[in-house]
Amino acid sequence: MSGVKGSRTLMTPHLALIAAAVAVAAVPLLTPDRYVLKVLVYVGVNVIVIAGLALLFGHAGQISMGHAAFVGIGAYTSAYLVKTLGAPWLVGAIAATMLAAAGGLVLALPALRLRGHYLAMATLGFNEIMYVVFREARAVTGGNDGLGGIPYPEVAGLRIDTPVGVYLLVWGVALLTLLLVTNILRSRPGRAMRALHATENGALACGIDTVGLKIRTFALSAALAGLAGALYAHGVGFISPTTFGLDQSVIYVAIVVVGGAGSLAGPVLAAVALTLLPYADALVPGLTKETIAVMQDWEADIYGLAMIAVVIFAPAGIGGLLRRASARRAGEVRG
Amino acid sequence: MDAAEFFQYVIAGLKSGSIYALVALGFTVVYGATGIINFAQGEFFMLGGVLAVWFHSLGLPLPVAGIAAVAATALLGVVFERVALRRQRSANPLVLVIITIGASMVIKSLARHLFGPDELSLQEFTPGPSIDVAGAAVERQALWVWGLTIVAVLVLAWLYRRTKLGRAMRACSISHDAARLMGIDTARVVMVSFGIAAALGALGGFAVTPLTQTSWDAGAAIGVKGFAAAILGGLGNPVATVIGGLVLGLLESLSVAFLSSTYKDAISLLVLLVVLFVRPQGLFGKARRGKV
Repeated sequence: MSGVKGSRTLMTPHLALIAAAVAVAAVPLLTPDRYVLKVLVYVGVNVIVIAGLALLFGHAGQISMGHAAFVGIGAYTSAYLVKTLGAPWLVGAIAATMLAAAGGLVLALPALRLRGHYLAMATLGFNEIMYVVFREARAVTGGNDGLGGIPYPEVAGLRIDTPVGVYLLVWGVALLTLLLVTNILRSRPGRAMRALHATENGALACGIDTVGLKIRTFALSAALAGLAGALYAHGVGFISPTTFGLDQSVIYVAIVVVGGAGSLAGPVLAAVALTLLPYADALVPGLTKETIAVMQDWEADIYGLAMIAVVIFAPAGIGGLLRRASARRAGEVRG
Repeated sequence: MDAAEFFQYVIAGLKSGSIYALVALGFTVVYGATGIINFAQGEFFMLGGVLAVWFHSLGLPLPVAGIAAVAATALLGVVFERVALRRQRSANPLVLVIITIGASMVIKSLARHLFGPDELSLQEFTPGPSIDVAGAAVERQALWVWGLTIVAVLVLAWLYRRTKLGRAMRACSISHDAARLMGIDTARVVMVSFGIAAALGALGGFAVTPLTQTSWDAGAAIGVKGFAAAILGGLGNPVATVIGGLVLGLLESLSVAFLSSTYKDAISLLVLLVVLFVRPQGLFGKARRGKV
């Protein structure tokens, strides 16, 4: 339905993507500040994760409270292969993506039997198990102390070791991810996902292979999280288990909820806004250290309350507001 | 391993098992009345311990502090249902999941603001040396944990079997609509169920704090384990839930004895996943087919 609406409005998803690409390219020209670029790398990584979760949770209606674990699988796989075994970065990133996808397949199997509450608990349990593994498998993960000194990404002999380089790599991948997800949503599998979300029996009756669809969506969503993890590990250089715990998974779910189910632009905007929130001092000059400290301290409360408020008062989230705004504009042009 | 050592592990397992049983009962009571799985259940456990420490530090005697903590948590459970969940009763299960997850984030974070980020400890209810039972040392506090669990289970059984409220709760768990047609105030039953679930969780948190200490972030882990216990027994059946809790505690403790302590926390999670995948109706439940 949103596809039909979208084509009538002025801002098609592809135009929005081009605008985003221009904005991404403009940032390093405007500011060479290392801190700003680093914060934007976090944002880019989250955008990739959220694009995958918006597909799975927002569109196909399958909740995952374990996406931080997939990011962790990707980050540790790539870091171990490249740093410890000396593999090329590209190999590490591809292996990270594939292993996370395999994890997604494992998690998709229960999704075939479980719904709603049960699926949420199962994926949550998966995240907790992976957290124990990240913490205890010290030979690979470095345990609680984490893994440091992870080498910068290197593609075809070109070492990407400047802040601008890492920023452009992460956001390049993020934009490609958004293009991929946009195209999926506008084509047959995207419509099948929305049908699955609306009514599983109805989707089955229409001849949709819901089993295959769930498995493929889970795997793709996990793969994107794994890829994001690989980018994070090499872009930041240090990983530790707390980054990939249950709290982070809950934050990802919160972002998709606030962004709005059934939308891609909404969750992406929410990812940008909510990731920037604790680092607002990078963008807004004049904010004191104390203000930022208070905001970081209350981050979890803000996320939790935003989540509850959105499902109660504005179930369509930011995506719903965007749709309404663009529909109104389209009406004005025609009238 | 000799008999006494084995027995020691069994004691430890039954100790954590009864805590899991209390938290699991909270899941079961709410699930029975509403069909909701309350992701904030672990936070009620955390509040029981943290609030008891706080009330005690204000100068209240320990038993009063404990009762006050349980009562305050029960009140919070009721308010949470009334404010955040009641209007969403007919909504998609995912919406309810999200509301309870959001609430658990907020409760946890507020507890950190109010009571600080540090570990909190509480004195034993009756301080003294451990008691020797067949060569195994049993802490006095463990007796309190078992005693309070048994009392809670008996009160709950009496409530379900002998009182009008209990009959209304059982009717709701069979069919909400039929219960309402019979003149039962289902909204009140749901609200009371949340209060009872919160009280059960808080009681567990209060009883175990002298043994394990507690802190603002203690809720999530115990929540998952309590849910694993509930699902192991079969959600919605109180007796099976208690057995599920004890079995889970024993499994965990014996895995430490025979395997390794490193992956102790992963055991209950593996149990959870295996039961969910293989037998989601629990060990004692009957398979239900969904209607199209």
